[in-house]
Amino acid sequence: MHLFTRNLADLMPATAEITEALIREYINRAVTDVFKTMVGREPSFSTPADTPQQSQSLTPPDRPQVVGTVGFLGDVNGLVYLHLDLAFARLCTCHLLGMTEQELDEAGDEVINDAIGEMTNMTVGSFKNGLCDAGYPCKLTIPSILRGTNFSIEPISSAVRHVYFFDCAEHRVVADILMKSDDQG
Amino acid sequence: MRYKVLTVDDSKTVRIIVKKAFKPFDVEIFEAANGVEGLAVAAKETPDLILLDITMPVMDGVEMLTKLKSDPALKAIPVIMLTAEGGRDNVLKIAKIGVRDYLVKPFKEEVLIEKCSRVIDLKPVNEGPAKAKSILDPADILIVEDKPAIIQQIQEGLKHTPWRIKGVATQGEAIDCATKATPDLIVVSLSLPEDAAFTFFRMLRTNLKTKYTPVFALVVKTEVAQQQQAQTMGFSAIITKPIEMSELESKAAKAMNLDTSQRYYAINGDLMVMRLPEICSPAVLAEAATYLKPKFAEAVDAGFNKVVIDIHQVKSLHMGIIKLLFQAMQTCRDLAMHFVLVGNPQIISECKGFEDTRGWTFCDSIDDAKNTLSKAPVAVPQMAGASA
Repeated sequence: MHLFTRNLADLMPATAEITEALIREYINRAVTDVFKTMVGREPSFSTPADTPQQSQSLTPPDRPQVVGTVGFLGDVNGLVYLHLDLAFARLCTCHLLGMTEQELDEAGDEVINDAIGEMTNMTVGSFKNGLCDAGYPCKLTIPSILRGTNFSIEPISSAVRHVYFFDCAEHRVVADILMKSDDQG
Repeated sequence: MRYKVLTVDDSKTVRIIVKKAFKPFDVEIFEAANGVEGLAVAAKETPDLILLDITMPVMDGVEMLTKLKSDPALKAIPVIMLTAEGGRDNVLKIAKIGVRDYLVKPFKEEVLIEKCSRVIDLKPVNEGPAKAKSILDPADILIVEDKPAIIQQIQEGLKHTPWRIKGVATQGEAIDCATKATPDLIVVSLSLPEDAAFTFFRMLRTNLKTKYTPVFALVVKTEVAQQQQAQTMGFSAIITKPIEMSELESKAAKAMNLDTSQRYYAINGDLMVMRLPEICSPAVLAEAATYLKPKFAEAVDAGFNKVVIDIHQVKSLHMGIIKLLFQAMQTCRDLAMHFVLVGNPQIISECKGFEDTRGWTFCDSIDDAKNTLSKAPVAVPQMAGASA
């Protein structure tokens, strides 16, 4: 278990320690809230058989992925990557916007990117609101999107990584959280 | 009046969701992708409500809100924040600048609409002229009354109508029923304990689904103070106990905006029949009078020029009925329609007692009336009495 404490934590009685358990609780709540509210599907927290290595792809190598990224900056800094396979990204987009598959094909990839960007924004927003309320005020960055197949994201050495898997409607959603280690005590 | 709503969000997805949420309502949606665009659209369109995100490129929502609130021309526009930024401190900071409400993403469309409806009076959009519901169509009426005998009395009294009448005894049950499937009419007893009727009424009026549902107050005739309170609060009508069923039926039909003309006017073969019921209360006569001219004109327009004015069901004659009959006869003359009267012995005898009606002549039945009309001269009969 990773343990995070802030430098000023001891001086701020309202500030809770950012423990791995807290991060897990916040991201679990965030992912569940967003997928349940916006696409009507309830993800379940999943524990992978093996802990992925730093350079290892978090998703099956043969499945194209849409990855939303949103950062949070303030008293705690970090970045969250939300991985969805393309098929699930399309399904979520159709549900969010009330579109058919055919309408989505006509609308193009931009629409999927924007929808997944917004879902990531909501997820990270919900996650970081937990951090704010725990005494670590921070703000969101504007979402961006990565697309591709068989890729891995390698964090810089000063970042601490937390990876959480969720099963949702026969698809896997991965939340890859990188937090700057100087936010640790 | 069509309300204008401006959604300011850098995510096209959110703007589409907002548009989708407002689709059932008569609202014009304007879009902006950042604070600069948002201010420009706000200045040009002066929307009735702004939905504002915080994290946006070019100009964020906090800056836009600050500028909006410092502009005398725009500062009165209500703003609801719709944002993923939901930390307590952020919310408090923004609330101080001045927002009407705060909705944290993810959000349900129903919640967004519910919050917006507290700011603007959202009305469902009319998709073309809807077919008017008639007295012959089914409707759902919810009776909230803790005395089962009253519920039973209403169910019994209105059983000849196609209306489905459901009775519940408590406010809790009433809330459940009203929110699950919005009734066409709610009748609530003011004698429910702890002013529950008034609490329930307030709740109905703040809920978007039941905001426009007609609500009747059921109250003992002598409880004048309660009746005044109900009127002040805006109950659609007051029904006094003991309940006069024809009054309840008539008021219910009016409140549900039902076309009740079929009660009094119908086409029978090649002629039009105007029929008055057994008891002709002032409400019944007023209702029949409302449809008189349009229905006669409609019949003429459709090629019918013969009318049977059937009052054989009427128990007793009074000035209200006589006045309505004169009006009907005059309308026939104006429209060059042939008409005859159908009455019963009691009515015929009573007619002899009034100067104005003494000369009226009656047929005994509809068949008799049809025969008479088939022999009718081309010219419209002169009216001293009826033209039989």
